[in-house]
Amino acid sequence: MSPSLIPLLTLMSPAFPVGAFAYSHGLEYAVRARVVGDADAVLDWIETLLRYGTGWCDLLLFAEAHRAAAEGDEARLAGVGELALALSGSAERRLETIGLGMAFRQASRPWEASPDDGDVAVAYPVAVGQLAGRLGLALDEALAAFAHGFAANLVAAAVRLVPLGQSQAVALLRRLEPTLVELADKAVHSDLDALGSAALFSEISAMRHETQSPRIFRS
Amino acid sequence: MDEALTETGESASTYSAELQRARGSAAVIVHQREGKSRLSRLYQEGCLKLRFPRLPAPGLTAVAINTAGGLTGGDRLTQEFRVEEGATLTATTQSCERIYRASAGRAQVATRLVVAPRAALSFLPQETILFDGGRIARTLDAEIEATSRLLMVESAVLGRQMMGESVTSGSFADRWRVRRDGRLVFADDLSLQGDVFGLAGHAATLGGARAFATVLLHEPEVSARLEGVRALIGAAGGASAFDGLLVVRLLAESGHMLRKTLVPLLSALAESALPPVWSI
Repeated sequence: MSPSLIPLLTLMSPAFPVGAFAYSHGLEYAVRARVVGDADAVLDWIETLLRYGTGWCDLLLFAEAHRAAAEGDEARLAGVGELALALSGSAERRLETIGLGMAFRQASRPWEASPDDGDVAVAYPVAVGQLAGRLGLALDEALAAFAHGFAANLVAAAVRLVPLGQSQAVALLRRLEPTLVELADKAVHSDLDALGSAALFSEISAMRHETQSPRIFRS
Repeated sequence: MDEALTETGESASTYSAELQRARGSAAVIVHQREGKSRLSRLYQEGCLKLRFPRLPAPGLTAVAINTAGGLTGGDRLTQEFRVEEGATLTATTQSCERIYRASAGRAQVATRLVVAPRAALSFLPQETILFDGGRIARTLDAEIEATSRLLMVESAVLGRQMMGESVTSGSFADRWRVRRDGRLVFADDLSLQGDVFGLAGHAATLGGARAFATVLLHEPEVSARLEGVRALIGAAGGASAFDGLLVVRLLAESGHMLRKTLVPLLSALAESALPPVWSI
């Protein structure tokens, strides 16, 4: 068995206390605007983010943070930390990634309390990638687990918003499996030059969510 | 500035192998003298020319002209606009930039913007039109300070719409990096590769839209503008303010429809008349 498996199952569990359930990553607006209305549309939304949007970019940021931490390269780590925050291009995108990142740092103290924990804002993929790199968790498995967490959280948001039944949610995760494997593998062999997003409406949804009322998610 | 200009430098042998490809560089420094914004330095080379029309606007206006008349694989433009303390510059283009089908490689456009304290720069190039088979990679690097004012836009139209053209193979990449007081405060990597129309059909990407724009404004107290901007753009896009920045993203079914929102938006944010090229 891979020694990475057990810590990854814990750190990436939906029960890991980072409060991920509070964020829809703009999906709440897309559902309210009737752009996303059924399981197939949810699947397309999530796959698009993983291939051509924030999901893909987060995998690259995660991998960069993992490599920098594994090599103990603090300058490189600071660089990807700054880039990850700068790439979060609206108020709620920053709120979400910093909220998750800071909560992850706090919750992962039993694994490692690093000296730079403090109150410095950190983006979620960088916080997780950094710890995974420091712990020596295998990059490919860590990326797959992180991609799965990204998708599973959006599926969970869709269950509440669309709404979807639990069996539909599980079927969606099953259908996402090949994409998650493919993109985690692709991210292992890519660097930050591969950053790129076509998900403009997802960005607009995140912006428009800021004034959405009523709403149940923080993003 | 000279340093930045030589960054385009490749070896002489590489250059001669691609001699048929268009090359253009331009660099401008604007400073304030006797209460007016004046040209302090101008450099231009190759197919990129700058003109400075006399306009009633308070600052200086620079209009870039690509005399190659469009861009294709291997073409390279480099431009730098630097505005010194207290000065105001508006930079635009004489026409839309057409990205022609590339037989090999991609066109590259590198832009550097430097805005000093209490200086203002509006970087407002007209739309880029991506023809089927066109390939372009743009970079936009801005260096600003806490009291700098920077307004910038990049907008694009997919395909020659009058001809009903589909873009089934193409490449569009736009990389923005904005540093304030040396710290990276905004980064954006837009990338549409391959079957661009197919990609644009997904709900999370363009939802079938054919034109898009991103606008960024940095100025002190920028968040006070957010409500007005949201009212102005309506359902055409989204706007957000954070960390001293205002970011607006727009989607539209055509270049014409995009301008219907973009022109009033830029007029409101520019605080002076837009260059005449920016009409609906």
